[in-house]
Amino acid sequence: MPSTPSLDGIPLFERLSPDERDELAEIMSPASFAAGASIYEEGGPEETLYVVTSGAVEVHKKILPGRGHHLAAIQAPAVIGEMGLLTEPRAAASVTARTPVEAQGIARDQFLEMLDEDSLAACKVIYEIGRTLAERMARTDESIAGIISQLERRNARGGHDPDVFGDRLLNEWGF
Amino acid sequence: MGGGGHIIFEVRRPRWEMGMTEEKLYRVRFFEFLTDEERSEFMEDAKPAAFEAGEVIISEGKEPSSLFILMSGRVEVRKRLSGGRDRLLAEMDADREATVVGERGLLGQSGASATVRAASRVEAIEIPRKTFRRMISEGRPAAFKLSYRIARTLATRLTRLDEEIVEAIRDLERRGETDLEAFQDRLITEWTV
Repeated sequence: MPSTPSLDGIPLFERLSPDERDELAEIMSPASFAAGASIYEEGGPEETLYVVTSGAVEVHKKILPGRGHHLAAIQAPAVIGEMGLLTEPRAAASVTARTPVEAQGIARDQFLEMLDEDSLAACKVIYEIGRTLAERMARTDESIAGIISQLERRNARGGHDPDVFGDRLLNEWGF
Repeated sequence: MGGGGHIIFEVRRPRWEMGMTEEKLYRVRFFEFLTDEERSEFMEDAKPAAFEAGEVIISEGKEPSSLFILMSGRVEVRKRLSGGRDRLLAEMDADREATVVGERGLLGQSGASATVRAASRVEAIEIPRKTFRRMISEGRPAAFKLSYRIARTLATRLTRLDEEIVEAIRDLERRGETDLEAFQDRLITEWTV
């Protein structure tokens, strides 16, 4: 009998009752990644959502030919692959293990099936994900407003520095 | 904004004016994923709201907003920029199709990122943020199902926005300069209130 993964201390599962945690645990499978191992490949499939329970991961994206841009380092506890769950199952960026990583994988199909069946456990997880997306959207909106203001000011002065905008856009990235 | 989509939501029209006894059923493309009972749960606490031309429905920078289902009338969405200027982000016409604004405010903690103002008389149904939060803390499935819908809308917009930003950066690099107007227009197309 597989041991039930501990979901304690992971914000995503805080609202879940013990029964609801068990319900989710049934579709989870443990996964480990060695330091340097690839978890998602940019443009590749994103069929599994991972709850990272220990370790750290790095996010990279190819912005310009031949150059990968480092977007973020994410420390456990964290969830990765949630955008694939809510949109297309295609990774927008590459994610690799920076240290040895322990995680619980949730198959996208199975999770979506639970949502279709109106599982309250699955809906509660989505609610928490939605809260993080709402804040990320707010930050994105504000940074874009900043960039637009900056562009307009520079435009009014008759010149601009493209590199500054590129850097700033990347800094504000919220993966 | 514009989170409507392909949804049918039957709303019993409240009494907008004193003495008005007629109640009409309105069909709004919203909330198809809810059962009839769950729709009624929302409607029990939903409030009718009417705005005259020029009145503010959602105010930028203030508290996180409530969700408004705009049933009729036209609105403008504007964003404050530095130097006291503002910029028109969108115009929406609820006479053509009922539309939703303020859905991000239900999930988020941050204030609204733009102002929504009535451009003509607007009739709306408000699902107050407080009501939604209470339903969440009571563990009511209807509220969690609505958050699934909102999360999907937000995820889709964020994904498109991220793609636009990458495209903009590639443009900047390729040409060493960019068409500033086009660049700005692209960035604001995916705005959410």
